[in-house]
Amino acid sequence: MHIILLLLAGLTYLLVLGPILIVLVTAFTPTDFFVFPPPGFSLRWFELFFNTESLRGAFTRSIQIAIVSSLVATLLGTMAALFVARRKGWTASLLQTLFLAPLIFPAIVFGLSLLLFFKLIGGMPEFLGLVIAHAILGMPFVIRAVSSSLLAVDPVLEEASQSLKAGPFRTFGLVTFPLIWPGILSGGLFAFILSFGELNTALFLTGPGVTTLPIEIFSYLQFQGGQLVIAAASAVQVGMIAIVVLVMERLVGLGRVVRSK
Amino acid sequence: MASGSFRLTRRWAAFALVAPPLLVFLVFFVVPLVSLFWVSFHAPSQSELYGPELTLEHYATILTDPFYHTIILRTLSTGAVILALCLVLGYATAYVLAPLPPRKRLLLLLLLVVPLMVSNVVRAYGWIAILGRQGLVNAVLRDTGLIERPLLLLNSFEAVSFGLMTIMLPYMVISVANALASIDAQYKEAAQSLRADPVRTFIHVTWPLSSPGVASGMLLVFLLTLSAYVTITLLGGPRMKLLVSLVFDSVGSFRWPLAAAISFALLVMALIVSGLIMALLRPQRVQGRG
Repeated sequence: MHIILLLLAGLTYLLVLGPILIVLVTAFTPTDFFVFPPPGFSLRWFELFFNTESLRGAFTRSIQIAIVSSLVATLLGTMAALFVARRKGWTASLLQTLFLAPLIFPAIVFGLSLLLFFKLIGGMPEFLGLVIAHAILGMPFVIRAVSSSLLAVDPVLEEASQSLKAGPFRTFGLVTFPLIWPGILSGGLFAFILSFGELNTALFLTGPGVTTLPIEIFSYLQFQGGQLVIAAASAVQVGMIAIVVLVMERLVGLGRVVRSK
Repeated sequence: MASGSFRLTRRWAAFALVAPPLLVFLVFFVVPLVSLFWVSFHAPSQSELYGPELTLEHYATILTDPFYHTIILRTLSTGAVILALCLVLGYATAYVLAPLPPRKRLLLLLLLVVPLMVSNVVRAYGWIAILGRQGLVNAVLRDTGLIERPLLLLNSFEAVSFGLMTIMLPYMVISVANALASIDAQYKEAAQSLRADPVRTFIHVTWPLSSPGVASGMLLVFLLTLSAYVTITLLGGPRMKLLVSLVFDSVGSFRWPLAAAISFALLVMALIVSGLIMALLRPQRVQGRG
């Protein structure tokens, strides 16, 4: 029995990690087509990736959108968490349900409704539309991370600060923020990662000439077949995430990386 | 008097705090959904997004057209296959991970969390690189002389179900592992001291106590499966359509009211299946214990 469980667990890791490892290996192939085992090592596909206007443009745009939308998500999500985390009663629980809804709400429906809404109000620049969509999708992660940090703060500390006549802003800046910043940071970094790989709303909200890296990879795969430059583009996507996860691990610890999923 | 005005400023501060995020959610989440719902009851139009007359024709089409029945059935069976495989593999993995020391368990969970952060398009591409015409499996089989022409492993129901399953699997492992790790060891000891064998202990103690984790894992897996247009298109090809593909196709042909109606059919399906999962697993019975 135990052997079977171990085999199934091994299979899980193989099936989850295998495809990503294959993409990474393929990206460094020196030949025109994928040959197994790879006859050598080369960076030619990465060179082609950064020399292809559309791919490089999508990559920088993805980073810009991820930065702006995760900053918005962090700001709004922290405000929301400060309100809902410690409150009881129906308003707080209703708001909490609303704010966390994007976690399980089918994102394709959200994307379609936003596109239609933008058309109804007379248009919205693609960049701004994507920032709005990704900020809303990222907020629940910030709210969850900040809420769990807030619940670990003893309210007596804030009451003490207020009894010393510090206003709400000074109390937040001098007492609450120093205690909850790891939660804010990990939520914000997760919102960044989410935006950087997001597909379902981006499918609707990107436009000709204004795409994100995941959408650009998708249209290459759909219309031009699996060229190896796409392996390099994918490896760049994985590399960015590896960097952010390492930063997260360094600054806030492993536990938060796992919990903030 | 002084404490009264203090409470008043605090209430205003709290309101000022929640107003901006609430406003953003109302304007860009609630209002668009309501307008999508509104559009779904309108006739199509050549020049505008939707025509002026009200109609139920789109919902009637979805409910009566055999084409939609096929697609809905296929969506449900894909979901069922994915849920079943995720449950077996995910529960087994979580069961192996749960008793490990915290640091080791965390590291092994991290190995599954990081792939969740990688874009689904990259993970689907990984399966194309393995199973595609010029992929790893065909390259190895060709080089060893076992086949002459490449095997067609993609563009099928099996490829979509299997590929999507591997993409969703980490959610299941993480939810169940957290639930298993939070079970008080005393329950198992109590069952064993009452001479329950391991199978009975599992059926009567471990499984019911882990049901909240199983339920939340299954909900997440199913709901994310419904939206996975990119994975479905890449692994299933142009003919293997699920409900979400039809949303996309209708937008592509500018039939906005139909796209809106299919979206709400998708939401209704999500609600029904979520309700079924909750009714079968009854996770709420665990609350108040432990």
